[in-house]
Amino acid sequence: MQKKIVITGFGGQGVVLAGRIVGKAAAIRDGLESTLVQSYGPESRGGACSAQVTIADRQINYPYIQHPDILVAMSQAGYEKYKALLIPEGILIVDQDLVTPEAGAGGFSVPSTRFAEEMGLKMIANIIMVGFFTAITDAITLEAARQTVRESVPKGTEEKNLKAFEKGWAYGRSSLKARAKKAAGQIGAFA
Amino acid sequence: MPDYKIIVFLCNWGPHAAFQHLQDQGADIPSEIKMIRIPCSGRITKALLLRSFEMGADGVMLLGCQSGTCRYGSGTRSAHGNTSETCRILDLMGIGADRLQLDNFLPDRPQVLLARLQAFVRQIYEMGHSPILPHASVRGEAPAALTPEAIVAAHDVFACQDCGKCTSACSLALAGKPYSPREIANRIIAGRADDPDVRQAVNACLTCGLCYERCPSAVNFPAFIRSMRAYYHHHRLVEAPTHGGFFQSMMRAMTAENLLPRRWRDLPAEIRTRAGAPVLFFGGCAPYFDIFFNRFLGVQTARILEDSLRLLNFFDVEPAVLENETCCGHDLLWTGDRENFLRLARRNARAFADSGAGELVTACPECYHTLAHDYPENGVPLPLTVTHIHEFLEREIDKGAVGFKPLGATVTFQDACRQSRFDGRSDLPRKLLARMTGTELLEMPESGSGAVCCGNSAWTGCDAYSKSLQVKRITSARQTGSEVILTACPKCQIHLRCAMEDAMRAEDLQLETMDLTSAIARTIYWEGS
Repeated sequence: MQKKIVITGFGGQGVVLAGRIVGKAAAIRDGLESTLVQSYGPESRGGACSAQVTIADRQINYPYIQHPDILVAMSQAGYEKYKALLIPEGILIVDQDLVTPEAGAGGFSVPSTRFAEEMGLKMIANIIMVGFFTAITDAITLEAARQTVRESVPKGTEEKNLKAFEKGWAYGRSSLKARAKKAAGQIGAFA
Repeated sequence: MPDYKIIVFLCNWGPHAAFQHLQDQGADIPSEIKMIRIPCSGRITKALLLRSFEMGADGVMLLGCQSGTCRYGSGTRSAHGNTSETCRILDLMGIGADRLQLDNFLPDRPQVLLARLQAFVRQIYEMGHSPILPHASVRGEAPAALTPEAIVAAHDVFACQDCGKCTSACSLALAGKPYSPREIANRIIAGRADDPDVRQAVNACLTCGLCYERCPSAVNFPAFIRSMRAYYHHHRLVEAPTHGGFFQSMMRAMTAENLLPRRWRDLPAEIRTRAGAPVLFFGGCAPYFDIFFNRFLGVQTARILEDSLRLLNFFDVEPAVLENETCCGHDLLWTGDRENFLRLARRNARAFADSGAGELVTACPECYHTLAHDYPENGVPLPLTVTHIHEFLEREIDKGAVGFKPLGATVTFQDACRQSRFDGRSDLPRKLLARMTGTELLEMPESGSGAVCCGNSAWTGCDAYSKSLQVKRITSARQTGSEVILTACPKCQIHLRCAMEDAMRAEDLQLETMDLTSAIARTIYWEGS
C-alpha cells in the first residue's frame, strides 16, 4: 500500500500543518511509514503552498510526489497548479466555496472555510479538512487522526480543533453515505 | 367458578323489553351479567365503554334497537361508531377487541337474546379475565406535602408580587375569560383552596407556562397548578376531564402490568425497525388519538410517528420499538393522578431497561418532557438518554450532505408549550425550518417562548374560551399569509383542527395543518456529488 497525497492552498491556511498531521498520524499512531515535503519560502507566505505526504506500509524511497493519488485543494491557484498531476482514478477533495473544479472533475467537496467561520475561527479550516480527508480516504484511521490533531495544535485550543475535526469527519461520512444512497436510488425519506 | 364481570348496557326501548321477558320467564340469564338500563345505546360514549373495563369488567355488551327503529333516530348509528372505535382502541391496548360487542334486538326475540348473552359469556370465559385489574386508590389522610399550605410553600407562591403580568400574558385571559393566575394564587394563599370556583379555576388552567415565562418573581405557576390538582385528586375533588375522561381511563388502564398492547402492527412495510437496537423509538398516544377523533376531525397524527421512523431510517438508524409500549403518563401527572402516573413511569422504565437501548428518541414534546424531566424528578430515573426527534434531526442534518426540496407552501409555526417554554427549545424547530431551503417561515406575532397555547392541555378544562383561543390562533396564522400551519405536537394539531370544524366559521378557519417532522420527511434528500 502506498498513498501519495498533495494538500495545497494559500500560504497561511494551515496546509503544511494539515500535511504534518496526516503524516504523523500514519507514522506514529497507525504504524505506517510516511514522509512529508513541505513548501517553504515565498509560497508559504501567501502563494500556492503545498504539503506532499506519502504514506506506505513499506519503506519509502523517494519523498517527492509527481502524480498524487489524492489531491486536496483549498485554493483555486493550488488546484490549477496540481490538477493535471492527479492520477485518473485519484481522489480530488476541494474546499467547496474556494475552489471550482473543472466540469466533470468529480471528487468530493466540503465548505471547510465556511464551517470554520460558522464556528467562529477561520483558521481551523485546515483541521476541518483533515477530518473530511480522514472520513473520505481512509488513508489514516479516525483515532490516529483525532489523537494527532490533539497533539499538534497549540495548547489551549485542543477542544476547538477537535470539534472542527469532528465536524469535517461527520460531513465526510455524510457525503459518503449520500453518495451510496444516491447510487442505490434512495434519495429521500420516502424513496 | 371464577368471578367474571360482564356488563350489558341495554337500551330501554327494544332490547330491555326482550330482557324483561326473559326475567319474567325466569330464563337462565348468566349470573355474570350485570344489566344496566340506558335510555339509548347511542348515549353510551366511548368513555363509558372504556370506563367499564377500567373498573374491572371482563366483557361489555351494548344492546340497542334494530337499525331504523331507534326512537332517537341516530342512536343505533352512534352506538355502532362508538363501539367499533372503542374496539379498535381495546385491540391496540391489548385488552382484546372481542371483549366489547354490539348487537341489536327488538322485544320479540327474547330467546335469541338469551342465546346471544350465553354465547358472549362463554366467549369471555374462553378469553379469560381482562388484563386490567381495578386497583383501589390509596386515599385517606393526605401526605404532609399535599396540603395547600405545603404546596404554596414548596412552590414559593408567596414570592408573587401581585404585579399582574401573569394575567396580562395568560392565554385564557387573552381569549376573554375572566381568569387571573395571581388571583388563584392569592385565594389559595388565603386558605380558600377548597372553594368550588378556585377548584374550577385550577382545573381550567392550560398549564401552557406563559405566566411563568413573564413572572418577574419566577413563580412556577404550572407546577403549582399541577400540585394543586394532585391535592384535589387526593380528595376526589377533581373536575370532570374532557371527552368524558376517555384518555385518563385509557392511561390508568395501561398501568396494568399484564397488559400487552399491540402497538406497532400497522407500520408500513418499508419502515425498518430492529429488536435490540441501541436506539429505541417511543411513539406515544397518537394512534389512539387518530381512532378516537377519526369521525369528526380526521386527524392523522400517527403519521408523525411513521415519518419520524422514516427519517430515522433515512439516517440509517433502525430503531427498536416496544410492541407493549404504553403512554408516558403526561396527562395523568398534569391532572393530578400522581399515583397512576408513577405506575406507568415505573412500568415504562422497566421496559426501557429491558430493551437494552442507550438512547430513546421520541417525536412528541409532551413525551419528551415527561420522560426526560418528570420521570427523574419524580424518582424514576431512566437508564438511557432521551432525545427529541428535532434534536436528532438537527444533529444529523448538521453533518451535511442533505438538502431539501421546497415544500411548495409558505408556512407558519405553532410552538408546543412543552418544547418552547418548558424545555426552552423554541430554537430547535426554527433551526430545522431555516435549513429547509425554499420553505418560507412567516412567524405569527406571538411565537417562540411567547407563543399562545393551542387551547388545551392534558385533556382537561376545555371550554368556549379554549375554542375562542384556537380561533384566534388560526386567524393569526392565516393573517401571516401562510398556506400551512406547521405543528410540533399531536395535540396542537388536534385542537387547531377542532376549531376548524366550527360550523359557523368553517370557511374562515381553513388552513392546512402538518407536523414539522412530516414536512421534513417529505422534503429531505441526499445531496452532494
